[in-house]
Amino acid sequence: MTPRPGAILAGCAVGCAAVAVIAICLGSTGWRSPWAWTAMVGELRAPRVLLGGLVGASLAVAGCVMQAVLHNELADPYVLGISGGASAAAVASLALFPGLAPGPAAAAGATGAALMVRGLARGPHDPTRLLLAGVAVGSILASATGAILVLAPASQLLRSSTSWLFGGLGTPPWSALIAPAIAVGLAVAWLTAQATRIDRLTLGADVAAALGVAVAPLRRRLLIGAVVLTALAVAAAGLVGFVGLIAPHAARRLVGDGHRPLIGAAALLGALLVMAADAVARTAFAPRELPVGLVTASLGGPIFLWQLQRGAR
Amino acid sequence: MTAAPRPAPRPALEATGLAVGRRGAAVLSGVELAVRPGERIALVGANGSGKTTLLRALAGLEPPLAGALRWSGGALPHGGDRVRAVGVLFQGEPASRFTVRELVTLGLGLDAPPSPGERRRVDDALALAELAALAGRRCASLSGGEAQRALIARAVVASPRLVLLDEPTNHLDPAGRAMIEALLDRLRGAIAAVIATHDLALAAGCDRVALLHAGRIAALGPPARVLAPALLGDALGVEVRRLDDPDGGPPLFRVIAPRPRAPEAAA
Repeated sequence: MTPRPGAILAGCAVGCAAVAVIAICLGSTGWRSPWAWTAMVGELRAPRVLLGGLVGASLAVAGCVMQAVLHNELADPYVLGISGGASAAAVASLALFPGLAPGPAAAAGATGAALMVRGLARGPHDPTRLLLAGVAVGSILASATGAILVLAPASQLLRSSTSWLFGGLGTPPWSALIAPAIAVGLAVAWLTAQATRIDRLTLGADVAAALGVAVAPLRRRLLIGAVVLTALAVAAAGLVGFVGLIAPHAARRLVGDGHRPLIGAAALLGALLVMAADAVARTAFAPRELPVGLVTASLGGPIFLWQLQRGAR
Repeated sequence: MTAAPRPAPRPALEATGLAVGRRGAAVLSGVELAVRPGERIALVGANGSGKTTLLRALAGLEPPLAGALRWSGGALPHGGDRVRAVGVLFQGEPASRFTVRELVTLGLGLDAPPSPGERRRVDDALALAELAALAGRRCASLSGGEAQRALIARAVVASPRLVLLDEPTNHLDPAGRAMIEALLDRLRGAIAAVIATHDLALAAGCDRVALLHAGRIAALGPPARVLAPALLGDALGVEVRRLDDPDGGPPLFRVIAPRPRAPEAAA
């Protein structure tokens, strides 16, 4: 008998909690029980692990939304030029204001790039034009990022930029969790309430309209929500690749294509993936850390290919 | 004392002085059409004659360039009520990743999970379309005929007053076509239908036929009158021979040869 989506969601939540506990226990100084609340566990590892979970959930939910709105399963949260905008703004911020964290500039760059893409593809909604505008703006901004890295004199810039461009959670204070936690909570609740409208939207604009969906306002709200979630994730952790692509696909295989269970399942799997990847990033070459985005891509890629092979059989 | 005559039921759909088109250019104009409750009307015409454009306007998806449209005497409702007014079968809708049951449930226009009563409606629609055994199958794995029946089940699951069907038997083999015709026969009388089709046998089974030609409805009336070789020849640009069934079954139409079209009316 096929398990019900509710049971699968509960299983994902348990798995996510287990990975969180294990990730909090793991570290360069060995096992530390999260219940033995030391400064190491309580002030360094726990907020970092939980922020990783929130970043993963944000990217996974944003990926789900982008794939539904753009009718393209290869769409990810960064698809509307967001990665290019975030990178260019963050690297410019690191070059001009080395003492400042690049997160807010990156979020602003991501949002600005998404607005620019939407403006360039204005007119009737056309997913292909939107995607092509995203690719074009993203590549222009990526070349601007490269130019800043090559031309800026400080060698420190290359190092700090590289770790940011491949994603890194750093040592966030507890207060850094507030905005992403609120955003993820609101997004999952609202999107789950909109789930059957999103399902109808995936059938195409005309079909959705004939099935009672006010297509243009829903699409606009979904895109704004996805951009805000992605910008917050980028501000917290830089560019963490592949999560927004792989988590929705993995969730679909578990709970099917209906967005009511899919949004929650994708959020939990995205959280699980980033927390696990960050644990590997912290411990694999301790005391040196790998960027978490390198780990998500190197773990996620083979898993994704394995899933594709299974699906083809 | 004589009983007062019962008022005639409101038309399921009424178009008056309707002009429809794309990007401001009219494809059809002067459309006068009233669809009575339970009535079945076929739209017949050559490619580009405006069948799909007219259906899109009747579905409320394309604003009319001129004239007025009333669904059950009023405006088309918004939100979930819309599917109880008009159901639509689109031509060439790609197969979705949903299961057949999920797809048909979406036809109810619900914003929440279906209640037990609504699940029964879905079961009834699946049974009507002879898809109960395939309810758990993904739509992408269905044959063309099965997929088309699933889409018709989605269009009628909310029991709309009117259903608009764009080429329901297109690209189907004879068995698939027969199953669609049987499904439409089961809906006859319960739901009014406007069917855009090139299938003259399907049109001959409708209550009335509207023949689209030269940017207007060139003829509207019973199939026996409108599906006449002379009218069809002008509208479709072919010589047609009509073979009536002596046993009263639907006539057969045989295309003999293309013929030069009558000149289009000045735009």
